[in-house]
Amino acid sequence: MPSVYLVLVALLSLPLTASVARGQSAQLLDAAKKEGKAVIYGSLEGDTMDAIIHAFKKKFGLDAEYWRASATKVMDRAMTEFRAGKNGADAIVAADNVMRLMQKDGYFQKYDSPTNSDFPKEVIDPNLGPRYRNVVVGVVYNKAALKPNEYPKTLEDLAKPQYRGKIVMPDPTQHTTTTQWLASLYKIMGKEKAEKFMRDLAANKPVWVESLLPAAERVASGEIPIAITYIKYAYIDAKKGAPVDYVRDAKVIGDASYITLASKAPHLNAGKAFIDFFLDDESMNLMSKLGEFVNRKGILPPLPGADKLGFVEMDDLSTKEFAEKKKEYTQIFLR
Amino acid sequence: MSIPETTPNPPEPLTSAWSRSRVGAFLSQPVSWVFLIVGSIIAFLSLYPTYFLFYGSLTDAPLGLPGKFTLDNYVRAYSDPEAYSLMLNSFIFGIGSSGLSVLFALALAWITIRTDAPFRRLFELTAIIPNILPPILVSISWVMLLNPSNGLINGLFVKIFGMEKGPFNIYSMAGLIYVEALILTPLAFLIVAAAMKSMDPSLEESAKTLGSGEFGVMRRITFPLIRPAILAAGTLNFVRAIESFDTPAIIALPARIEVFTTKIWREALGSFPTNHNLAATYGVGILAIALVFVYLYRRFTSQVESFSTVTGKGFRPHQIELGPWRYVASGVAFLLLVMLVVLPILVLSLVAILPYYHVPTWQTWQNLTLSHFQYVWATPRVHKAFLNSLFLSLVGATLCMTLASLAAYITVRTKLAARGLIEGLVFIPWAFPGTAMALGLLWAYVDFPIPVYATVWIILIAYVTRFLPYGLRAVSSTIIQVHKELEEASIVCGAGFLTTFRRILIPMMRPGVMAGWIILVTIFMREFSATLFLYSPGAEPLGPLLYFLYLDGMRGRVAAIGLVISLISVILIAVAQRYSRWDTK
Repeated sequence: MPSVYLVLVALLSLPLTASVARGQSAQLLDAAKKEGKAVIYGSLEGDTMDAIIHAFKKKFGLDAEYWRASATKVMDRAMTEFRAGKNGADAIVAADNVMRLMQKDGYFQKYDSPTNSDFPKEVIDPNLGPRYRNVVVGVVYNKAALKPNEYPKTLEDLAKPQYRGKIVMPDPTQHTTTTQWLASLYKIMGKEKAEKFMRDLAANKPVWVESLLPAAERVASGEIPIAITYIKYAYIDAKKGAPVDYVRDAKVIGDASYITLASKAPHLNAGKAFIDFFLDDESMNLMSKLGEFVNRKGILPPLPGADKLGFVEMDDLSTKEFAEKKKEYTQIFLR
Repeated sequence: MSIPETTPNPPEPLTSAWSRSRVGAFLSQPVSWVFLIVGSIIAFLSLYPTYFLFYGSLTDAPLGLPGKFTLDNYVRAYSDPEAYSLMLNSFIFGIGSSGLSVLFALALAWITIRTDAPFRRLFELTAIIPNILPPILVSISWVMLLNPSNGLINGLFVKIFGMEKGPFNIYSMAGLIYVEALILTPLAFLIVAAAMKSMDPSLEESAKTLGSGEFGVMRRITFPLIRPAILAAGTLNFVRAIESFDTPAIIALPARIEVFTTKIWREALGSFPTNHNLAATYGVGILAIALVFVYLYRRFTSQVESFSTVTGKGFRPHQIELGPWRYVASGVAFLLLVMLVVLPILVLSLVAILPYYHVPTWQTWQNLTLSHFQYVWATPRVHKAFLNSLFLSLVGATLCMTLASLAAYITVRTKLAARGLIEGLVFIPWAFPGTAMALGLLWAYVDFPIPVYATVWIILIAYVTRFLPYGLRAVSSTIIQVHKELEEASIVCGAGFLTTFRRILIPMMRPGVMAGWIILVTIFMREFSATLFLYSPGAEPLGPLLYFLYLDGMRGRVAAIGLVISLISVILIAVAQRYSRWDTK
């Protein structure tokens, strides 16, 4: 997939004006109400979805139920139901890789939400709809566990020997997003530099954990000073009082997320109504306030310096490429 | 002269008559009907989802899609020499943690049940608490206490003894075994304790009369008598350890120790996309190991009569008077409970009032919050989840123990040829890793002719399927000890099978039944791996809720809910114990 470099939404967006909520047609809402509820399966954080569902109910008097799991589990359940002809979900909210595989297998149907036009054209996928958020991977560190002159300034700093044993990251031979992230580093560093960085990072013997959240937690807890994790945790943990900050790299790699209508949605109209609301201003603002990088024009997360981050989307890897990369990283990191 | 043939009614072929009379005799026994019904239910529950997993291991396409027969999954899984070195790691981990858990349980059970140590009843009540806590929380607590960089206990050592570095490192094989052993101890405790409560004291008294001291009685009489329970606990915990993923994920990964389950996760369940076929294939390997252990267990306990200790005579295990040593015994029990309950609960309580998960500093005390408890108190979703889980726990545990009691009777008491099969069948779904079995259940019931998918019934079916071995082991180890003379006396007095079962066996098995029921209630209150795929959105039980909150990094809320679950479970246990006639006053 060609490299996509996007200056973050703020730079592309129109001035901060309250966008017009396209809303749902009365006909769609009536039909949705007759269906009773929308059922969503997804990997979006529970609190975020709870807030959105609450606002949805309040606005339209329509109910929505959410089944939350990791992206792969969402795919496992949804695809098993789909193949058995027992679809439970009206829409799926998950990361790019999962959504593309499900789309390939015919799980989704195309739905052009009236709210799509409030997203930059470059983030609209012809099959999956708007890429409503970017989940950015970067460097988060604990300010209390390091002296100010020890704070890393760039991602590449983590290759320096002074950080040996001070870095925590998900196991790159096991954690899918980390494998993808490493495989996409060439997009911000160039191939040679990226390969050298990986070898030097491996030589620094990072502590491995099972995923990106435990990496952030070990930094917030002060156990390990530096993490490769989602940079939104720098905002979320700092809000709770943790002495954490993140490295403001000019270019950051991240994953994309979509919400798409199921082809055999049991509550088709309610599913559409929910997607319309989910992609609209109110819901996107809610998400942004919780630290998410949403792509709707004019909405920025409250993370300091977020507007200066250059987002680069990570490469999608095929099953074969994943296997090859995991083998390669086993060689590099388990030497 | 010819002799006329005088065989007006030629006899039926001997074998046919013989079989018919055998079938007739078999079916005329009520116990045979019980065997047929219980056997059919267990065979269905066990084999139906397992069939999907086996099928999955022999095909190259996900379930629901047409695939080709292949052995490639087996070649891939078991031709890699690394798999065997990891199996060895798993074996060391399994033996170490199950052995240590049985040792802890044995000490705790002996002190609380057989001695006059002070506070023994309190110790007994609290020993089950760790079973209520999600294992992942116990592992996290110990990381907070014993991590080498800022673990609280290591910090104390550094401060008190002026050491440069704390002496403990949780990220090691020893740390892994220790934490898993603590997680496994309550199960072993319940099984061993139930057996100790059912013991006939006359054997011990005879030994004492013949001049044995307390230690000699313990070594020569008590220990051999509870050997089936020890083996049962050890077998269960060994299998539970080798299929455990949570503790290795949290402790082994940073230590760069890999075990078989982390390999399964890396290559199958955690890979992208999930390779269900390979996961099922690895599951079959773990199943084979588990079945070897079931076979060994059955061999160990084959001489059933030799373990019979509960006879028709009035029995009440006598309490050993320890004199001044009773305080030492209490001290040992207290120390064990500090490790099992006090420290993890303290850490959880701390996490429940911290604004974010961290090792506390002096500054922390100014930022403590009750917001996580407020969330539990004020969120209707949490209340609903509590109600759903209470219902599932109470009904699920009762159903499971009813089936387990009947199955235990058949496997231990009857001489029916296929009784060993029942035990094997019960173990099959349990030996698969949790997530793999959850997929098997999902595949099995998503398109089941009776529409149970995404209803409360499917969750109950899943619970009974997966956790029946806990119930069976708990009851079997007690029923083995009940001498046949009581049943025989009942039958001589004219009672039928069902009356004997109800009036003799159930009361006698009660400690085991209650132990199993308690284990199951506490597991079902927080179970998530099977529930997650099967519950209907909108009818969320606590397990998935805890899982979602954990997934979202809400450790404080998870800890607060964990503490409330512990409190509710302790109340349930206390009530159950009160009505179980465990107490031998």
